[in-house]
Amino acid sequence: MSQLVIHDLHISIGDKTIVKGFTLTIKQGEVHAIMGPNGTGKSTLAKAIAGHPDYTITSGEVLLDGGSVLAMEPDERARAGLFLAFQYPSEIPGVSIANFLRAAVQARMTEGEELDATGYYKRLYAKMDMLKIDRKFTSRSVNEGFSGGEKKRCEILQMAMLEPKIALMDETDSGLDIDALRIVADGVNAQRKSAAAPGIMLITHYQRLLDYIVPDFVHVMHDGRIVKSGDKSLALELEAKGYDWVKQEFAAANA
Amino acid sequence: MKPLTETEGMTTTADETAANPVVGIDQTKGDFQYKVDYAFDAGTGLTEDTVRYISSVKKEEPWLLDFRLKALKTFREKPMPTHWATKDLENIDFDKIRYYLSQGQKPKRTWDEVPDDIKKTFERLGIPEQERKFLAGVEAQFDSEAAYSNIKDIVAKQGVIFVNSTEGLREHPEIFRKFFSKVIPTGDNKFSALNSAVFSGGSFIYVPKGVKVAQPLQAYFRINAENFGQFERTLIIADEGAEIVYMEGCTAPKFSTSTLHSAVVELVALKGAKIQYITVQNWANNVFNLVTKRGVAHEDAEIKWIDCNIGSRLTMKYPGVVLKGERARGEVLSIALANDGQHQDTGAKMVHAANNTTSNIIAKSISVGQGRSTYRGVVHIPKHLKGCKNNTECDALLINTNSRTDTYPAISVKGDKNATQHEASVSKVSADMIFYMQSRGLTEAQAMSLAVNGFINDLARQFPMEYSVELKRLIDLEMEGSVG
Amino acid sequence: MPAVSTTSLVGSFTQEAFNTHLARVSHLPAWWLDRKRAAYGRFVALPMPKRTDEGWRFSNLSTLTLDGFEVGRAVPGTASSSALPAAASLTYLNNRATARTGDVPAGVIFDTLQNALLKHGDLVKAHLLAQPSKLGSDKFAALHEAFLEDGAFIYVPKGFEVTEPLAVYHQAEGPGSAVFPHTLVVAEDNAKVTVADFFASTVGGVLRPDGSSGHFACGGNDLYAGHGASVSYIALQDWSRDTLSFQFNATVARRDAKVLSLNVHLGARQARHESFSQLQAPGAHSEMLALTVAQGAQEFDQRTLQIHQAPNTSSNLLYKNALLDQAKTIFSGLIVVDPDAQKTDAYQSNRNLMLSDEAEANSLPGLEIQANDVRCTHGATSARIDAEQEFYLESRGIKPAHAQELLVFGFFEEVLGKIENEALHDALAAIIRNKFKK
Repeated sequence: MSQLVIHDLHISIGDKTIVKGFTLTIKQGEVHAIMGPNGTGKSTLAKAIAGHPDYTITSGEVLLDGGSVLAMEPDERARAGLFLAFQYPSEIPGVSIANFLRAAVQARMTEGEELDATGYYKRLYAKMDMLKIDRKFTSRSVNEGFSGGEKKRCEILQMAMLEPKIALMDETDSGLDIDALRIVADGVNAQRKSAAAPGIMLITHYQRLLDYIVPDFVHVMHDGRIVKSGDKSLALELEAKGYDWVKQEFAAANA
Repeated sequence: MKPLTETEGMTTTADETAANPVVGIDQTKGDFQYKVDYAFDAGTGLTEDTVRYISSVKKEEPWLLDFRLKALKTFREKPMPTHWATKDLENIDFDKIRYYLSQGQKPKRTWDEVPDDIKKTFERLGIPEQERKFLAGVEAQFDSEAAYSNIKDIVAKQGVIFVNSTEGLREHPEIFRKFFSKVIPTGDNKFSALNSAVFSGGSFIYVPKGVKVAQPLQAYFRINAENFGQFERTLIIADEGAEIVYMEGCTAPKFSTSTLHSAVVELVALKGAKIQYITVQNWANNVFNLVTKRGVAHEDAEIKWIDCNIGSRLTMKYPGVVLKGERARGEVLSIALANDGQHQDTGAKMVHAANNTTSNIIAKSISVGQGRSTYRGVVHIPKHLKGCKNNTECDALLINTNSRTDTYPAISVKGDKNATQHEASVSKVSADMIFYMQSRGLTEAQAMSLAVNGFINDLARQFPMEYSVELKRLIDLEMEGSVG
Repeated sequence: MPAVSTTSLVGSFTQEAFNTHLARVSHLPAWWLDRKRAAYGRFVALPMPKRTDEGWRFSNLSTLTLDGFEVGRAVPGTASSSALPAAASLTYLNNRATARTGDVPAGVIFDTLQNALLKHGDLVKAHLLAQPSKLGSDKFAALHEAFLEDGAFIYVPKGFEVTEPLAVYHQAEGPGSAVFPHTLVVAEDNAKVTVADFFASTVGGVLRPDGSSGHFACGGNDLYAGHGASVSYIALQDWSRDTLSFQFNATVARRDAKVLSLNVHLGARQARHESFSQLQAPGAHSEMLALTVAQGAQEFDQRTLQIHQAPNTSSNLLYKNALLDQAKTIFSGLIVVDPDAQKTDAYQSNRNLMLSDEAEANSLPGLEIQANDVRCTHGATSARIDAEQEFYLESRGIKPAHAQELLVFGFFEEVLGKIENEALHDALAAIIRNKFKK
């Protein structure tokens, strides 16, 4: 059973510290929702763990199955089993989804190993059908000209194809209408049920997503760290009371 | 080369305004003339004697006369740049221009001392009023020399120097000579050479280390005489950490013959300094306005040119920044409006000479009637630099079916550690937008003015409030009669 | 001082050389020989480009030379190439037709220019080098006309569609060989055709993209698309790396005609390409594409002009350069909208992908607009591989080297993707891929 241990993580961009002592352990098969107001460091956390070069981890540790990922390049982290579903996925003109995913799958094979093209496409089409993505999309450039919903479905498609141990899902619900949200949630839930269910860090601003992807744990993030944890009822409480409640409570606790 | 003896009072050329409502209207403010007696006159035409006359009137040191004479030679040797620029330049007759006219070389420090005929001009243009309201200092140039120059005590006490170029040379030679002609060498182009030979007037400003001048300094350039050439020379030095905003306005009455304005403006922003240079050019549309403007920005310094060209027959002006120190920033924000018979050939030059320097050019032009606006730009990022960035946006708005616009940028980038981006677009005012506004009761002209003001709004907002109001008024006037 | 001033005005292309050439083509129609004599006269009289010529801004003039060349001699070798998928092909070696393959539908003409001059003189006369040289190379264009010995003539009559591409291989061999290739495409009203020119160097008549000696290549093509016609033209320039290359294109698009031209530049040490599109009647559309892989010390100098002469015309230019090593590129483009060409839709874009710290990219994207109801935009960018895109690929586990390769080919694919013929697309992609990997 894989697990991701994040311990007392501090992250900065330039001179500015964004994440200030974030600690959390995610085991394979668990879904941890990270909620919190804008600007509290949620996206920073996800991107930094994935190895984005703009973010500096100034202290703390990120261990995947006991080994630190911090010295690893982004592609090495991905092959080790981390997956980031981007809030704003990049558009990559001229690179088709088929070529892109094949390159990603191939990168996980050992030297000299041949990709079974028939098996690959069979698997790809099955996942695409599940996510209601038109098969014609395979020849389209990655994310180029995609609608918000198409981009997010494409992220989940990649997650399904690459079968990560741990998935960091950054605002996967943003920009989705209710139908698209349901399709995306179904895609994630299908992976939760599979034998290789990933551990999921589900970053979201709204409780709505959690109606569809029911979390095992809910954590509230404020000013760069977790200030409150609970089960899914915490999300409902937040929905009712708003983030100001957390801010006030947190301020009071620190007073 | 003897002084003129004219005794008439005031003449105005307002009749011409009535004859041509589109071009004339915007000049109502500047289109008047009071006859003036000139104590000093270099006569008509350009010879070595003209240069010697100017230099002797100003009691200049020999090195400067030498500098001027060499420049005259360079001017004569350089061909007209018509292999890339408009052939209209060939219509300038250098033998018919008067190169120096003044009532004296020492500007007055109070308006009361300024001779009545000249004072009336500036009062009518609203300069003393503006000075009281929001300026830290004013220099008012009338033909070849400043008639008035003053700086508020509070600013002077900080050590800020604000005088004309003649006084600058005489009273602060150690600073002046160090920077003079270093940013723009004589031979930079034909007109910088001409200016170097016959320059007179313009501002010399020095802002000491760390001094941040809160209010703008303003210069006002007025051409009053017919067949005249105005050649002011401005040098602004902001010492380390200093900050200064300089604004210039220009007008001239509308004559039937052409007038030449050919200035050289050099800016030096030392480490961490900031210079903002704002121009609202509203020359009469017989003026050839051929100006060279460039600044050097040292480490962490910032130079911003805000350049607005509404008047003149032909303007050729490409403010530039040499980004000499690391992290220096350069910016040119340019608005040009070309009406019938006008050609606004404007743009920007950004020369990156240090790592992590950034430059930004936003140019918006409006062509009305048969007006022609041209953008020319140079962005240069040489080898072995890294982290340099340029962003250029040029948008042209064509009002009438036969309005014209051109865009000629040149971007040269070496290496894989820098990034440049240039975008340009051409459009007209959308008919739907005009219809929408008309359906709310606006006239077509009002709607057009609103649309045009909307087009330049994001740039106009960068002007000091007083100027952006003035700009809007000028554009409204220019747009009248452009539709229908 | 640039070497230009010391280079003679004619170099190797002396009166004697011209007389020898003229003797070889004396059987061709008199009007054509007269034109050639006039062209030679212009060539001799015109000066070499000067530093102050706007049309040569940023170009390296010191390496432009007319010396040390010789009009290509006959060499053994008749092998036709099959580098590109085509229904029929013509092969030239040192200005001489050496092979042909395949067939074209009856009524369509796919023949040598010499045969066409003899059999279809009027057709050729109306279109061959009929457009002015407007982009700076008058002298070299005159040289091309003077020494043009043979080329390809493609004529598609009214309403005919040639579905499979026609290929023309222009080859040069031997040190200093001067070649003057030409392809003339005339598509009459509602006709449709795809033509591919392939320029390459051979050794012993066999294609040798590398290792061959340098040549002087001075070629041209004329594309004419009648009412409603559709012409796709692809030129793949892969001369040996010592070659000095000039290519001149003139495109005429009539009412509702569509012309697509794609120029792929891979070879030569210094290559100048001038492309001139005239949109002459409403509905005309010109798609101007180019793809350059610049390596070593290569210089690619591309000058374009899109003139909108009538209302409701459109043009779309996309020139992409990938720069490695110490390579240098120049893109200078101009969109001209004539005073009455309202409703013009014109676009011009130059994208430079900087893959080396020593490469140099120069962009001069220009507009001259004299009508107000138009949509005209242009853009130019120079930058390295996009860091966010690279991170996105790497975050999927793709190794950095492979991620960069994917992004570079993606950069090319934006242009190549506009080729409708799949086999032709794949063949070009493979050739470019090969070149890039070296």
